[in-house]
Amino acid sequence: MVTTRMTSSVMRPSLSRAHAARATRALIAPFAFCAMLFAGFAPAAAQASTDQAAVSFVEDVSTRAIDIISDKGISKAQREEEFRALLLETADMNRIAAFALGQYLRTPTEEQKAEYLKLVETFIVKVYVTRLSDYNNEKLDVLGAKAKGDTQAMVQSEIKFTNGREPVKVDWWLIKNDGDFKIFDVNVVGIWLAQEQRSTFTTVIRNNGGKFESLLEHLRTQISKAEAGDISGITTSSN
Amino acid sequence: MKTMYGTAMPTAIRSLALAAIAIVVIAAASPRAAMAQDAPPPAVDNGVDENDPLEPMNRYFFELNKFFDTILLKPVATWYDGVVPEPGRDGVRNFLDNLRSPVILANDMLQGEWERAGTTASRFGINTTVGVLGLFDPASGWGMPQHSEDFGQTLAVYGTGEGAYLYLPVLGPAPPRDLTGFFVDQFFDPLTYIYWDKPKTVPTARFVVNGIDQRARSLKTLDQIERTSVDHYATIRNLYRQIRANEIANGQRDFDDLPDIENLNFDTNEPNTPSMRF
Repeated sequence: MVTTRMTSSVMRPSLSRAHAARATRALIAPFAFCAMLFAGFAPAAAQASTDQAAVSFVEDVSTRAIDIISDKGISKAQREEEFRALLLETADMNRIAAFALGQYLRTPTEEQKAEYLKLVETFIVKVYVTRLSDYNNEKLDVLGAKAKGDTQAMVQSEIKFTNGREPVKVDWWLIKNDGDFKIFDVNVVGIWLAQEQRSTFTTVIRNNGGKFESLLEHLRTQISKAEAGDISGITTSSN
Repeated sequence: MKTMYGTAMPTAIRSLALAAIAIVVIAAASPRAAMAQDAPPPAVDNGVDENDPLEPMNRYFFELNKFFDTILLKPVATWYDGVVPEPGRDGVRNFLDNLRSPVILANDMLQGEWERAGTTASRFGINTTVGVLGLFDPASGWGMPQHSEDFGQTLAVYGTGEGAYLYLPVLGPAPPRDLTGFFVDQFFDPLTYIYWDKPKTVPTARFVVNGIDQRARSLKTLDQIERTSVDHYATIRNLYRQIRANEIANGQRDFDDLPDIENLNFDTNEPNTPSMRF
């Protein structure tokens, strides 16, 4: 089910709405195509094509991510490597890493910055391979897209579960880099993941007297614990 | 306590909050009303993302709740999850959710959400009768899904800020607005009046079973959050706030109210913009 345009910033998916949207789309598709030929004169159509591109991007990324998570034939290490490759290709890692530092963005040295970028990448891979394991073999339905300014787009989707669990809403915050979309943040059931990351990272730095090194230490510890498969006693209270 | 059946994450956070409930309630059903006065006045924004002036104390209580969770609530919840079959647990959940309908209805109405109030009232009527005293939830299948509402959310809709973050033993995350909401909600609950001058066996049992069930429903989620957090306390604090913001907005997204990331990059020399808030 794909709608190229949202009637409001909020989608309330319902069966009838979905049918209506599909019918509408079938009706307007030929016109939209004609309009696209004159895209220069028709900003609305250009908008629609941007939205469509964002929708396709999210469909592609989510399918690949779920495939990686669901592939039982590969080891955990392989899964993480495949996920890392996907992440580097489709997410704006530099921007995500920068955002997660909040007001401490300018504090690391060049070396610290380089290490931080590597650690945060590994950390995110490990976190999401774990957190996404819930969604193996499920399917993500894109509900619609909406441009945010000239360079950003929001895509709304939901994961439907085969076991009758209530669908999970997932929103994607995309940013255009050199004409290609990249993921900046993902919202799952109302929680922006990058915002959570930033809140945690800045708290660690602040509670250690503003020392950037402390964040690197926490990340190293967390990653090595994740590698050891240690679940218990992971609390890293930083007081 | 509030219940948010159907969404794993809010339930997860709330369960952590409930970590020590069982013990305290069993040990001594002491009046918890004193806590209301303990709420600090809303603190001034300390210039950073987290409004948490009592962080050391909060962290202490957080560890305390985690301790009780480890030795009692989590084992009990794990046992409950393993022994009681899923239909049984769903019956318990549905029953407790149905029991909370009056509180949800009151807050729906106080917020002027008439459509949602209608849903809540219909749900209560249907599930109490067709659903056999609330043990089943046929209303969800008929297009009337459960939603959460509480007086903390109502206050937020009226424009009250959350106040400084506060983490309490037993209750967990309870910033002044939500703590106030928790106590006010007791007065929307018929059970409060039914058992006003009677032994509190039933309300206590309800409280304890609710805590165990919520914890049981979030065993995996909470484990994952703990395992993947650089700072567990800070993660829970942020998740609590985001979840509350989402609940207050009734799940509606405001994409215009997001931080400006357009020019955010390691390589630029733009001045910092610490105005990012959530």
